[in-house]
Amino acid sequence: MRHVMKPLIAAVIVLACGAGAAFAHHGWSWTTGGNIELIGIIKSAKLGNPHGVLKIDAEGEIWTAEVGQPWRNERAGLKPGDMVPGVEIKIVGEPSADIKNKRVKAERIYIGKREYILYPNRD
Amino acid sequence: MESLLQSLETLAPIAALRFSRWAYAVVNTGHVFAIALLVGGTVPLSLRLFGFWPDVARAGVARILALTSGTGLVLALATGSLLFATRASEYAANPAFQIKLVLVTAGVVSVIAANRRHGLAQEGTSPSAARRAAVLSLIFWIGALVCGRLIAFVQG
Repeated sequence: MRHVMKPLIAAVIVLACGAGAAFAHHGWSWTTGGNIELIGIIKSAKLGNPHGVLKIDAEGEIWTAEVGQPWRNERAGLKPGDMVPGVEIKIVGEPSADIKNKRVKAERIYIGKREYILYPNRD
Repeated sequence: MESLLQSLETLAPIAALRFSRWAYAVVNTGHVFAIALLVGGTVPLSLRLFGFWPDVARAGVARILALTSGTGLVLALATGSLLFATRASEYAANPAFQIKLVLVTAGVVSVIAANRRHGLAQEGTSPSAARRAAVLSLIFWIGALVCGRLIAFVQG
């Protein structure tokens, strides 16, 4: 059993260090603290727990937008058919502190003329 | 493989869990509770095997903690399978999840192997073999816990 120990310890350490450089899906620790506005067409939507993920084509750049978990989207007034491929969407939210990630966590969503507020106490 | 994972995600009860509020919360909480039982049992058990508290009988410690941590393991596998299924293709591609699976498998295999050879209390093992088993167990289970938490912090 001894021969498996070293690589395993190495793997855990490497992963732990790598994770420090990466960023979280959950919470706001990985975002900038400031908001951006992202407008584009939904390319794909994966909704549901632990939170929904949209791929958005913003003038040729593909961004990933994290939206709420089902109860948060529902509370904001979003219906299951609202965030589907082909729909034009505007996201207001905090981008990843590393802008190269092209990832934003939505605070407010605009589809058509309607505003959907995911986080009422954030701006 | 990818299509298998995707068909797992689309099973009716799994899709229902993905879009539920409280059922998902219950499974999620159950998973945390299971890990608490599992790691909360294996840490003192491993430390005893390592040589801590020599005046406390190994057999007694093992009888209690093997039961609670074993229960935690079974519950963790059950709740974890459900959580995995809700986002199967995403989690399968996540490096933290992959390492976690390796560690869990190693932990299960090593505990079964050790029990077969020497029983729950590892009676009759040399102190150095017991220490080795204890260190491995700590690495596997704490490592699995760390990697499990890191799933939310890395991307596939």
